[in-house]
Amino acid sequence: MNYGPLVFLAAFFALASSWCGFVLTPQLQIGRLQQTNTVGGAGIAYPIARPGLAHQGLDVYRANGCAYCHSQQVGQTGTVLDIALTDAGTNQATTVAALLKLAESATNQPSALTMLPSFQPGSSNAITESILGGLPKAFFRSTTREAANAAAKALNSTSAKVQLWVVPVGPDITRGWGGRRTVAEDYLFDTPVMPGSQRVGPDLANVGTRLPDANWHLLHLYAPRLEVKASTMPPYRFLFEKRKIGRRPSPGALSLSGNLAPGPGYEIVPRPEAKALTAYLISLHADAPLFDAPISVLAPAGAPASTNAPAVPGAASTNAPPTNAPAK
Amino acid sequence: MNPEPQQSLPITAEAEPQAGRTAVPVWLIVLLFLMLYWGMVYFDSHGGWFNEQVYAPYRNFQEVEAWQPVTGAPGLAQLGKLVYNKPTCVACHQADGKGTAGQFPSLVQSEWVQEPEPGRIIRAVLYGISGPFQFKGQSFNGAMVPWKDALTDEEIAAVLTYVRTNPEWGNKAPEVKPERVKQVREKTKGRNQPFSQEELLKVSPAD
Repeated sequence: MNYGPLVFLAAFFALASSWCGFVLTPQLQIGRLQQTNTVGGAGIAYPIARPGLAHQGLDVYRANGCAYCHSQQVGQTGTVLDIALTDAGTNQATTVAALLKLAESATNQPSALTMLPSFQPGSSNAITESILGGLPKAFFRSTTREAANAAAKALNSTSAKVQLWVVPVGPDITRGWGGRRTVAEDYLFDTPVMPGSQRVGPDLANVGTRLPDANWHLLHLYAPRLEVKASTMPPYRFLFEKRKIGRRPSPGALSLSGNLAPGPGYEIVPRPEAKALTAYLISLHADAPLFDAPISVLAPAGAPASTNAPAVPGAASTNAPPTNAPAK
Repeated sequence: MNPEPQQSLPITAEAEPQAGRTAVPVWLIVLLFLMLYWGMVYFDSHGGWFNEQVYAPYRNFQEVEAWQPVTGAPGLAQLGKLVYNKPTCVACHQADGKGTAGQFPSLVQSEWVQEPEPGRIIRAVLYGISGPFQFKGQSFNGAMVPWKDALTDEEIAAVLTYVRTNPEWGNKAPEVKPERVKQVREKTKGRNQPFSQEELLKVSPAD
């Protein structure tokens, strides 16, 4: 047996190649990731470091093993474009006719068009209203930009105004666990990163957007089935304190009733850990529009599409990649 | 003590098997190359070329770029905002379009800006303005610089579209197409003088 050097070299190369793949390559890819800007309109810095209490909450999240049952990574299988009408225009009959014509060629009809077959050129205003009411509304969904552009062009030739909405799709997004997939930027200021691996409970990547109410989270931590009927989450009552009511009840005390009530003269108040964990949970918003995770964020109804804010170079809703985009 | 395992094994007289030398079957070589090829194709289509901007489901940078949302409805007004703040117009008319009282007229709901046909405003932007001028009842006696050499037809059309359709300023005039600017530029070829108010009023807006 004189294979010592050979065995050593084989082992060395096996380990070195896996190190290159698992450590070096990711480091080269995203090791120098920096705070970037959201794209499409606002152009604000992202991610923003979590405020102090939420930062402590990450430690509570870690210490209680939340990551064993909750992931923080949303997947996405693709992106589609929704063709949305923002303004029906002056001649609504032409608009509806153009919609009808497009609907004939469209393969999957969105629900907004179920009223279309009942539409006749001379039909009543109520039907036109039911089709064109509640704008902006998405009418068609297309998987390629060419098809979407063609449809938008067909509608633009009427007096209607059209927008193309970039919509990520995938099972996680259908479940309502986020608007887009998570990307490396979402975890930038978290040490350690808590992406989780199992989904005994729902994904928490944007739980702060879904459930922004701190009180909801406190009650849910104390008694999960109070808030979610079929929850399998264990109650985290040790994050709360049962104490005698002093001169007046504490403002932060949980409002519990029935057999959960702590008894007369007592109240349940969250310990600092519970408050920190709650602050952390409501700080989870992995849904900003980023260059590497494109998504249309719709302006609240009534807001104009373009703002007249003082000139910020590059922020004027260009499609310029953020600062860390590679030079082409 | 454990019983000695060797004792229970049957002792055979056969010699120990030895590895011989056989050629690797051709089908295995073909299969290996096919798998290698498939692996390269898979890597090629899913690797994203190690670009940090590319994560699944996108395959390359161009694809990520192609899916970026285009905000705002018309592209011209968007470009126009950039041109306006380049700085070109913003230097005098200010970011809010209101100008400076007595010096630079306001573009907000101005009758000159919101003419349905943009013939006059295109000429004003192309060649500038000089002399006394009435703007929304106020009189100005300043000068506007010509932009015919500094801005292209498309940029002038864009900035006029931005100014004329800006909802924040309450302007609701129709947009200006680059072809229209080109048309005016060709009609007024050879001119080097800025327009005065009288001259502009003589021009038909539809011209």
